[in-house]
Amino acid sequence: MKIEILDSKGIKVISVSGDIDMYSSPDLRKELMQLVHKKVSPLLVDFRGVSYIDSSGIATFVEGLKNMMTYGGKLRLIGIPEKIMEIFCFAKLDRVFEIYGTIDDASNN
Amino acid sequence: MKDSATIIIPSDPKYLSVIRSVTTTMGGLFGMHDSVIDDVKLAVDEACANVIKHAYRGDTRQKIVVKFKLTKKGFEVIIEDNGIKAEPELITGRSLDEVRPGGLGIHFIKRTFDLFHFDEKKKKGNRLRLIRYRGGGNEDRDLGQ
Repeated sequence: MKIEILDSKGIKVISVSGDIDMYSSPDLRKELMQLVHKKVSPLLVDFRGVSYIDSSGIATFVEGLKNMMTYGGKLRLIGIPEKIMEIFCFAKLDRVFEIYGTIDDASNN
Repeated sequence: MKDSATIIIPSDPKYLSVIRSVTTTMGGLFGMHDSVIDDVKLAVDEACANVIKHAYRGDTRQKIVVKFKLTKKGFEVIIEDNGIKAEPELITGRSLDEVRPGGLGIHFIKRTFDLFHFDEKKKKGNRLRLIRYRGGGNEDRDLGQ
């Protein structure tokens, strides 16, 4: 898994690629929670390069979202590949997260 | 002879990618649709992650034995460890309507496999048997084009 923190027109974007699993999710959690503790909002996560996610990866995002909700922060997920979207839908998390197709869509809302 | 393969990995999360690769290959040999292989890969990964987390409490120096069997009956995966005994009646996962971290892995396993059974005959550790029956009432559900 590779993580990059980017800036898109003043909005922070966590760009993730590769497999998010029990081995890699602690690194993702560290990066995500650093931004959450700084109360960054909105915070975008670019999923376009993600090839796999397991329950530990999903738990990382749920934890981030719940923490951001305490200060009214917005966590927006972008470009979730179809097979990963199916997992979010099964877990009923498509109703919980703000999900967008592109960075522009997420930035303009 | 039954088609089968056995893989032994250390109980270290970095080896879960190896389990996923072998599961993908075995699913392909079984003739599964790619979408089914994705589900099976996730389920086997979650079952092995549970061994690391619960049976071995994060100890990465132990071993996990994963056996794949491709039979007329279906796709079978047997996962063995020598860790703390699971209590199957307590393995329920969280409600999918509840939003909190954790508790999803067991749902990913049970939605994919028709049989989820801990062998009580194993004296030390656990032997989890997972079977996805061929067809499962729908002959086309697993097979590729």
